[in-house]
Amino acid sequence: MNLRKAVLALSSRSTIHQTRSRRGCRLFSSLVLADRLQGLDRPTVWHEFSPLAAQHQAINLGQGYPEEDPPAFVQNAMHAAVYQRNANQYARSAAHMPLAHVLADDYNSKLQRTDIVAETHIATAVGCTHALYCALMGLIQARDEVILLEPAFDIYSSQVQMAGGKAVYVPLRPSSDASGASDYFQLDLEEFERAITPQTKAFILNTPHNPTGKIFSQTELEGIAEIVRKHPRITVIADEVYEYLVFDKTKEPHVPMASLLWDQTLTLSSAGKTFSCTGWKVGWAVGPPHLVQAVTAVQQWVTFSAPTVNQDAIAQALVQARQPYQGLPSYYDYLADDYHQKQQLLVEALQAAGMTPIVPAGGFFIMADTSAIEFPYPSMEKTPAMPVTPMPRDWALSRWMTQTVGVTAIPPSAFYSPENVPLAQNLLRFAYCKNAETLQEAHRRFAAYFQNQ
Amino acid sequence: MNLRKAVVALSSRTTTRYSSRLFSSFLADRLHGLDRPTVWHEFSPLAAQHQAINLGQGFPDGDPPSFVQDAMHAAVFHKSANQYARSAAHMPLAQVLADEYNTKLKRTDIAAETHIATAVGCTHALYCALTGLIQAGDEVILLEPAFDIYSSQVQMAGGKAVYVPLRPSGKEGASQYFQLDLDEFERAITPRTKAFILNTPHNPTGKIFSQTELEGIAAVVQKHPRITILADEVYEHLVFDKAKEPHIPIASLLWDQTLTLSSAGKTFSCTGWKVGWAVGPPHLVQAVTAVQQWVTFSAPTPNQDAIAQALVQARQPYAGFASYYDYLADDYHQKQQLLVAALQSAGMTPIVPAGGFFIMADTSAIDFPFPTKETTPAMPATPMPRDWALSRWMTQTVGVTAIPPSAFYSPNNVPLAQNLLRFAYCKNAETLQEAQRRFAAYFQKQ
Repeated sequence: MNLRKAVLALSSRSTIHQTRSRRGCRLFSSLVLADRLQGLDRPTVWHEFSPLAAQHQAINLGQGYPEEDPPAFVQNAMHAAVYQRNANQYARSAAHMPLAHVLADDYNSKLQRTDIVAETHIATAVGCTHALYCALMGLIQARDEVILLEPAFDIYSSQVQMAGGKAVYVPLRPSSDASGASDYFQLDLEEFERAITPQTKAFILNTPHNPTGKIFSQTELEGIAEIVRKHPRITVIADEVYEYLVFDKTKEPHVPMASLLWDQTLTLSSAGKTFSCTGWKVGWAVGPPHLVQAVTAVQQWVTFSAPTVNQDAIAQALVQARQPYQGLPSYYDYLADDYHQKQQLLVEALQAAGMTPIVPAGGFFIMADTSAIEFPYPSMEKTPAMPVTPMPRDWALSRWMTQTVGVTAIPPSAFYSPENVPLAQNLLRFAYCKNAETLQEAHRRFAAYFQNQ
Repeated sequence: MNLRKAVVALSSRTTTRYSSRLFSSFLADRLHGLDRPTVWHEFSPLAAQHQAINLGQGFPDGDPPSFVQDAMHAAVFHKSANQYARSAAHMPLAQVLADEYNTKLKRTDIAAETHIATAVGCTHALYCALTGLIQAGDEVILLEPAFDIYSSQVQMAGGKAVYVPLRPSGKEGASQYFQLDLDEFERAITPRTKAFILNTPHNPTGKIFSQTELEGIAAVVQKHPRITILADEVYEHLVFDKAKEPHIPIASLLWDQTLTLSSAGKTFSCTGWKVGWAVGPPHLVQAVTAVQQWVTFSAPTPNQDAIAQALVQARQPYAGFASYYDYLADDYHQKQQLLVAALQSAGMTPIVPAGGFFIMADTSAIDFPFPTKETTPAMPATPMPRDWALSRWMTQTVGVTAIPPSAFYSPNNVPLAQNLLRFAYCKNAETLQEAQRRFAAYFQKQ
């Protein structure tokens, strides 16, 4: 069960629920809001930490968005879409054709196929979050189960609930291997297989993985594919938004699940992380027509179509990104190199604080082991997003670090179900999709505090 | 029951449809009947195939005005509005909307942080509102003819649509012609009624609900605190006689039970930018924001930022008018007059709208080959409804495309549509004049 629901269950036994003045609670129970929102209308970890960081003028390495603007060629693409390309009216509902064509080409290349066709194998959406929502709404109904690997981006379990489904959690377990995130966070394939029941309808696979930075290897994916193939009812929903943030393409490349299990995989991705435009919200789903149709059938009623100018701009950007950029063979190579340097800055900063970073193979987050940090704990403090007491150690540490050290991270317990929250207690998630100056300032603050202790 | 569901019920008896077989095993129940081709899937390609003048789907021919395009440029290049927006609403847009609605509704209490939600167009705002408010067992009242998205979204939210038809009165002008019987409306309310969607100015009729009508509706709804009115007001600025038939927001009569929805697309000729919003008391706005944060997390930032700028500039004098809104209404009024003339030259009787950008025209006088046993993926019922058949024939033979209003009626009420067609006039003067030429060329020879 998702942490948030546990929080709600706990708090309903606490005095908070009995303080009738919480307008939201009283109105929730008086049936203004639909049941599907039960527990989902509460403040979240995001509602807590962004304002807290601002209040304390902390360096915010919490929510994952870049500080910089998109590259000029991407901004120019939006300009062209608005002024020159007649892209201001309703898009074709399933996907704006210029973008669908570019994606069909890109995925035929990536997956070494020739049969991906713009009209039937591509759906676009308002970011990957929305593509996932549409996929789940199209595939999941009451009693269907969806397997999620923990720690899991918090949106997954909420969307599963809204679709009427039940989330089944399989934890990535820490191994004693210290050589990096992919080896540190292990999936036990037997545990995964035991989680499958006749009700299992989908499995969300996020690779490169948020928050751990693990990249699932060819071997791991073959193991997963072999199991899933025995269950034709299951669709693998592959969230691959960090696919280009990969730091050692030889040793740990991004391997698309669809290259191993095409017929049962819906591959999702988006432009926001790749082009530093998280606010443009252009996402997509690619796969066999019967799976893509689940997305398009929902999308046409949820939004009718995704914004045209945004889609058109990304269609142009995806083509230009293949060109040499800043001395590197393509923009994608530049991006990976830039983020690798940022990662190294953050690794040093975390070490200066006495934390042990679990070095990621991809993405733009690092999980750091915080066992060595002493701070006032346990804490009986409560917040609207975390009314459980005692507060989980990582949540309390993250608050203390914001207030006392001046750097904000996200407590990974926000990404675990209640049973598995203990797995998070000695971890914090830091984002490095930030300017070098920001990361260096974080380093200074860590050094200033921890090297004085 | 919605026409589409009747279509599915009929076609489920034909076994060879691959998607039908997969549907029954694969897609979630909430999509039942909703994964079929729609009227839009049929008529846009048909118009293109026959190079017809497409007066079907409601989007403008032209680009947004340059001040609106410039606002997007500023958002992307100068205002760094490129990263995730605040989930409930991008604050610059929320602040402008709070000001606007305080003015429109003569209030002072609408606050950006609590009374405003933005979404990816009004369609999405409505989806979030219904998903936040409606569950299995809840009923939602829709007035027919109803924009087809409403009933589909109600179904997806697990609710049941209850239809109340606007009935023809024979009087002049769309607002008078299409009448709502308040007793019939009240009888449609049950203990399960949770919402009522009120679209004014109305698509497809062009009716604007009057102060009297809205007071009557408000008096009825006030007796039922469980009911929320979802007021879809996207055509609010496309109003042609502000003195005789102004747009009246129902929130000015029933604030506590109304969620007012609107968007930028029709107003600024940017239907592809998809910036919509919901305004109302916090407990209703929260239904939208609670859903939105999981559906998309936030609406696109540069789009929201651009519209925030555009809404402010639109208050300024424009093209010789007191504001851009005045220019817009005048421009559309002229387009409407061109289309009225064109329809008359085809022997049709336009039911002249008070607002919006569609005209319903009476087609009783047109002779064409009917009934037809033809079926299409979006209309497999036989015989094909007269308006649907007429619209296909008109595309293929006359070279002008309209939308058959039976797409907007439940099966019981499809007959109300048989002598009507919906034409859009959100098009250039040249396009509308070409439609007239084609009508004259065909019908004045007959």
